[in-house]
Amino acid sequence: MTTGIELRDLRKRYEGHGGAGSWAVDGVDMQIGRGQFVTLLGPSGCGKTTTLRMIAGFEVPTSGQILRDGVDITDQPVTDREMRMVFQDFALFPNMTVAENVAFGLKTRRMKGRFGAAEMRRRVGEYLDLVHLGTHADKRPHQLSGGQKQRVSLARALITDPDVVLFDEPLGSLDAHLRKVMQIELIRLHRELNKTFIYVTHDQDEAMAMSDAIAVMNGGKVQQFGTPREIYDRPTSRYVAGFIGHAHIVEASVVESGASGLSVRLGNGEVVRLDAPASLQRGEAVGLMLRAEDLSLAKPGDGELHGKVSDSLYRGEYIEYVVDLKGGAGTVHVHEPTHAAPFAHGDDVALKVNPAKAHVVGGA
Amino acid sequence: MRAFGNRPFVLSLASLVLFFLYAPLLVIVVFSFNDSSYTGLPFNGFTLHWYADLLSNRQIMGSIWNSVYVAVGVVILSVVFGLPAAIALDRYEFPGKGIFRRIVMLPIVLPGIITGVALLSFYLTLNLKLSLHTIMLGQGTALMCITITEVFARLQQMGKSQTEAAVNLGANDWEVFRHVTLPGVRSSLFGAMLISFSISFDEIAVTFLLTGRENTLPMTLWSLLRREVTPEVNAAATLIIAVSVVLIVIGMYASRGKGAAGSEGR
Repeated sequence: MTTGIELRDLRKRYEGHGGAGSWAVDGVDMQIGRGQFVTLLGPSGCGKTTTLRMIAGFEVPTSGQILRDGVDITDQPVTDREMRMVFQDFALFPNMTVAENVAFGLKTRRMKGRFGAAEMRRRVGEYLDLVHLGTHADKRPHQLSGGQKQRVSLARALITDPDVVLFDEPLGSLDAHLRKVMQIELIRLHRELNKTFIYVTHDQDEAMAMSDAIAVMNGGKVQQFGTPREIYDRPTSRYVAGFIGHAHIVEASVVESGASGLSVRLGNGEVVRLDAPASLQRGEAVGLMLRAEDLSLAKPGDGELHGKVSDSLYRGEYIEYVVDLKGGAGTVHVHEPTHAAPFAHGDDVALKVNPAKAHVVGGA
Repeated sequence: MRAFGNRPFVLSLASLVLFFLYAPLLVIVVFSFNDSSYTGLPFNGFTLHWYADLLSNRQIMGSIWNSVYVAVGVVILSVVFGLPAAIALDRYEFPGKGIFRRIVMLPIVLPGIITGVALLSFYLTLNLKLSLHTIMLGQGTALMCITITEVFARLQQMGKSQTEAAVNLGANDWEVFRHVTLPGVRSSLFGAMLISFSISFDEIAVTFLLTGRENTLPMTLWSLLRREVTPEVNAAATLIIAVSVVLIVIGMYASRGKGAAGSEGR
């Protein structure tokens, strides 16, 4: 993996009124390989968009460096970076047709002479076909649906063949169904075009489904940078565990830790065994991450944890039970297949924990 | 939607408002065709005599052209200085920006006579000779804020992502202006030009103080009216009403175009 974009201790401070400033981005280090699909994921205000805009050149970093293929581009103007951005509000030019919008990047002065009129027409047609809009070339943006507008904006960004494409919540203003369709479209484009995609979203499903790697951000910092699987299965902090997949975290302390696995004791005295090797101090306080799909319900005595069903929610694909653990040790959610024998509110149940998937996160 | 309220009351109120608004205009139009040298009843018969008189009245015709000349100059001044000012307000940070934004409306919020006195003493200090050009300069200074506020509001509504997209696609400043900014503000700019033109055309307070030897139409009509309401004045007024209606219709078509552009911005 050759390094495409590298961020070194990137920081951005916004000055507020009366000198009260705040760090929107507070020391981001990241290496993004060429051709990777990397997502910056986090809640609003976490610094993900500011980071993207610094990569694009729209914001000037307060300190730190941005490198591209090893060359410092921190002070390079936007127009010289030749990275293309796809905006949440599409940012189409309303006075131009779809074809003119797509051709815009080929017609600017810096592109002058690179493409003849016939070549330009052919290319516009090719990229409109790429996003399935071949028949809409002469329409105006206001005649298109939201999904179509974003496809135009994609074609406009891709037509100049940039190495790096930046996405600022591009599906944010589309409805749920269209988002799914566009996700598949984006994955296809990434696979076919072999470009670096840097993608900003607050939607974790979107991030998980599309990315080679995800940077989970909060408070201007990268909390964890890894593959979707690493982030989901082995979060390194309570924040990431809680943000991704809505895991529930139960307070526990280490009983035994070693190469063969780990056992932790909950507040109510019950003990859970995990397969993952660990080297933690006996008695150390940890958070036990329990995801709904890693738990199953059983009759009392048939599992390592016990509790009482407080709610059951029929979700169609599965039934979601809310279980209060014995002795007030915590609350967890459990997904059970709809064909399993149902439990009701107030039932005493046992919980089996999948030892391969349960995970602990450090510190209190 | 179902009508509500006392229908006869609403109707009569509306009719009264329309009557007081338009009846005076109608009276002027009617009497401009009346074959009598007094403005008043009885209606003696239809004539275009007063229009012929008007066309041969060198004082009135001259001042109409003066007014058009001044108004066109005012529009040019407003666009040349107002458009860049609006773009600067929207896009750039500069010292005093906040203050500039707040006081930009001052020249038309202030009573015209104050603006006029201020401009007059300023020009006299600079030893500028009063002429149509000082009127142009004075009105242009005062009316520029219409262009600034109209265009600035449109720019704010457009947001910055179109501009950023253009820059991102390699456009230089001129290309951004030519392909994004100008098409985006075109309809508000055109509207501001129409408003500036029509305000300039009938402006008296500032004009009165800055006039040199040549008069604009409102000044001429005013001095004529101090003697009596002549039918020629009615004819001039009727022509101006006709031109205004045409301008309003053009303005409405332009703002309809703006509606379509606005819906794309959503």
